[in-house]
Amino acid sequence: MDPLNSSSSSEDSNDQKRFSSVLITTFTTVFLAELGDKTQVATLLLTAQSGKPLVVFVGSSLALICSSLVGVLLGRWIATKMPAERFNYMAGILMVGIGLLLGIQSINGLILSHNAV
Amino acid sequence: MIFPLLITTFTTVFLAELGDKTQLATLAISGTSNKPLAVFLGSSVALVFASFLGVLAGGSIATLIPANILKMLAAFGFLIIGVKLLWPLTHGAEQVNSEH
Repeated sequence: MDPLNSSSSSEDSNDQKRFSSVLITTFTTVFLAELGDKTQVATLLLTAQSGKPLVVFVGSSLALICSSLVGVLLGRWIATKMPAERFNYMAGILMVGIGLLLGIQSINGLILSHNAV
Repeated sequence: MIFPLLITTFTTVFLAELGDKTQLATLAISGTSNKPLAVFLGSSVALVFASFLGVLAGGSIATLIPANILKMLAAFGFLIIGVKLLWPLTHGAEQVNSEH
């Protein structure tokens, strides 16, 4: 199913490498993006309000896992709806767009905090 | 009392994450890498671990590492993926495997 490197003899090791590289890429990007994210404040409020951090953590973890699943399934579904090249192009533009947006926000924040000092 | 709280938390976080940049990243990577399991594992572990650290840090890691730095790092992450996706298209497919 993976047209890119299906011919090479060391298919398993190559496939394994691609699997781990995709996993690490996804982990790092999502981890960094989520760390600075505001949704965690919501879970903290729920924890403070309920006094049951474990229940809140389980609830939010399940929600996060489900939202990852939705993202993965949606990505695969959309990818089947159009030629790979076009999806790569649109996904690339989306990622660069978000990257620029985050970059601008962070530079703005740095400038503002710098002036405030 | 536990179950309503579980449902409230689940819905709150699920709706908050819908269309969030992390979900868009997962969508983009899973659609272009055809390694859905790797993407699902990477994204789920990252999200749960980040929210765990958030709980530990009492709110958000921003108390330890300034939010702007986190955002800057995240920005690089997105840009690298974006450029990796766009590079083969702008430089023609035959150059994809050339060592440059």
